[in-house]
Amino acid sequence: MTDMQALLAAEMAKLGNSYKARLPLELGELLALAGQLSGSDADHPVLEELHQRLHKLAGSGGTFGFHSLSEQSQQLELVTKSWINGEVLAYQTMLGGLIEKIAALSLTLSERDTSVAYKQGVMAVKTDVKSRNLLWLADDDEQLGLELQRLLKQFGYEVCLFTRLDQVEAATGSEQPDILIMDVMFAKEGMDATKEMNIRHNFKAFHCPILFISARGDFTVRVRAARLGARGFLVKPLDVPKLVDRIEQIMEAEKKAVYRVLIVDDDETLSTHYRLVLMSAGMEVEVLNQPEKIIERVSTFRPELVLMDLNMPEYTGQEVAIVIRQHEQWIGLPIIYLSAEADVDQQIKAMGKGADDFLIKPISDTRLVAAVTVRAARARQLSDLMSKDSLTGLLKHSGIKEAVEFELARAQRNGFSLCVVMIDIDHFKKVNDTYGHAEGDCVIMAVAHLLKQRLRKSDIVGRYGGEEFVAVLPECDAITAQQIMNDLRESFSALRFHHQSVDFGCTLSAGLVCNKQYPEASAGKLLVAADEAMYMAKQGGRNRVCVA
Amino acid sequence: MSKLQRILYVEDEPDIQVVAKLALEMVGGYTVKICSSGNEALREAEAFAPDMILLDVMMPGMDGPTTLAKLRQLPALDQVPIAFMTAKVQPQEVAHFKLLGAVDVIPKPFDPMTLSNQVQALWSAAHD
Repeated sequence: MTDMQALLAAEMAKLGNSYKARLPLELGELLALAGQLSGSDADHPVLEELHQRLHKLAGSGGTFGFHSLSEQSQQLELVTKSWINGEVLAYQTMLGGLIEKIAALSLTLSERDTSVAYKQGVMAVKTDVKSRNLLWLADDDEQLGLELQRLLKQFGYEVCLFTRLDQVEAATGSEQPDILIMDVMFAKEGMDATKEMNIRHNFKAFHCPILFISARGDFTVRVRAARLGARGFLVKPLDVPKLVDRIEQIMEAEKKAVYRVLIVDDDETLSTHYRLVLMSAGMEVEVLNQPEKIIERVSTFRPELVLMDLNMPEYTGQEVAIVIRQHEQWIGLPIIYLSAEADVDQQIKAMGKGADDFLIKPISDTRLVAAVTVRAARARQLSDLMSKDSLTGLLKHSGIKEAVEFELARAQRNGFSLCVVMIDIDHFKKVNDTYGHAEGDCVIMAVAHLLKQRLRKSDIVGRYGGEEFVAVLPECDAITAQQIMNDLRESFSALRFHHQSVDFGCTLSAGLVCNKQYPEASAGKLLVAADEAMYMAKQGGRNRVCVA
Repeated sequence: MSKLQRILYVEDEPDIQVVAKLALEMVGGYTVKICSSGNEALREAEAFAPDMILLDVMMPGMDGPTTLAKLRQLPALDQVPIAFMTAKVQPQEVAHFKLLGAVDVIPKPFDPMTLSNQVQALWSAAHD
């Protein structure tokens, strides 16, 4: 495969995955359209729409390797065409068949040809890290299900509700949610989900984290849940913030975050090749061919790992590594030498000079990906432990202050606007005093989850103090930031927390500042201005967002 | 004889637009313009001055064959090779499309790795 083809394959895989993620929705809409048909003249526009969409599916399905989907859609396309043209009289007797066949399209989704063009460089490409956060919720109590769906949506999840176990089973063929939240007893069907899922083939083949919610939590049920590999078992009545916390933990564990890798090598062909290999494994990769620019590049790209060629014409890899290490903030940055050097003594000597490991060229693509993944994962784990708040998983005080500085500098360089938001939970002391610190922690976690869910991936959030948070929103103006924060504020105020039999709610106040209003201000000044705006919000009666 | 460089692709389906653009730009190195409808193509085609035009057959509004007929009325484009892209390729249909003035039909789904070669081959054949 040439480099371009490898890159194309990686792009195709990315597109294919996002296409696949959209298919269930499309099939659902087709089914809804078919359900509108009555056999009368009024059908015409619906048939036209169905026909167009089936045609598109026939074309696009094959492009992404869904060949049977493509074929079956094409057949259905012809059927609808014949109805439109009046070639079939009294087709209403055939409507049931059409609906069945459209429903059956979802069964083809598991048959995907991932060979040829879809073959990915080395490893599966996991893209769309900011996926939709799709949850499936299955509960035979529709009332409860709808309420839970509403609450989870406030946290930014997309929730698909099922009230029957067989609906869930039917859906397993077509799509995979991020998490399945499953009630245990389905009274109408007279079934125990933990029993059925252990028996039924479709469920056995379904690999998705499962979280059980149950009215009772006796040992036998819990064991059956454990056999299914359930990731959690919560007893009703449900504490929604706790449920969200568990969901978030599972998502975090499942999430394959994108590693940022910087390659320093004067050999352009080889470094481009490494870049493509690592990119096709889902990493974000930049190449630096001029070592002189190392500090600028490390500051702007913020790699989590540096792959450094040992022998470059003007400088050695060791020298460049030492220059990196002269900067205190990059002391922990993993540096791996890449070199043809086979002499162990040479390697050890090189390692003494600021690097963490040594890879010998030529290295196979698979090994390169594995070596970089393992080291980047470890480095991230360590840096998370050092820089993240243990309760919320957000950046700590110093980390978020640094982020404000970094993002402000980037915004000034690129001339875009940036907002800094200060958030404080209203009357938080009262929550702690009345319901205890454990409950207080739940409230703090709820704010943290909402911030993580609602903000964009490029936004940065930190826990600034006890009940105080800071968010940095790059490329965002004051009006948009205010909208986002008001939306978040409303979601938060709608949340209900439970303590023993008491049900309570909380609100928050926020102040925000946009750098465009304070063109000369430093990061520290912006934080002060945001803090003052937050104070204004408190003065104005709390539960509001003020702009500095 | 000049070289194939600029390709106009008329297609209403966004997924296929993206794939085709990637395939033709990355593998073939061509300059690609996408139009989402026949009308858009009629407005934009002359200014873009394509060396080759690819037309989806079934599009809402103006379909491929109609678009072809109208493009042919533009003096600047009456010699540009046009190929249809379609999922339905029965032999009699290919013959029908050729009668309409298409150089050939590229079946969908196309293979993104080889699409550029296919297009290049059609263009070269048309210039023989």
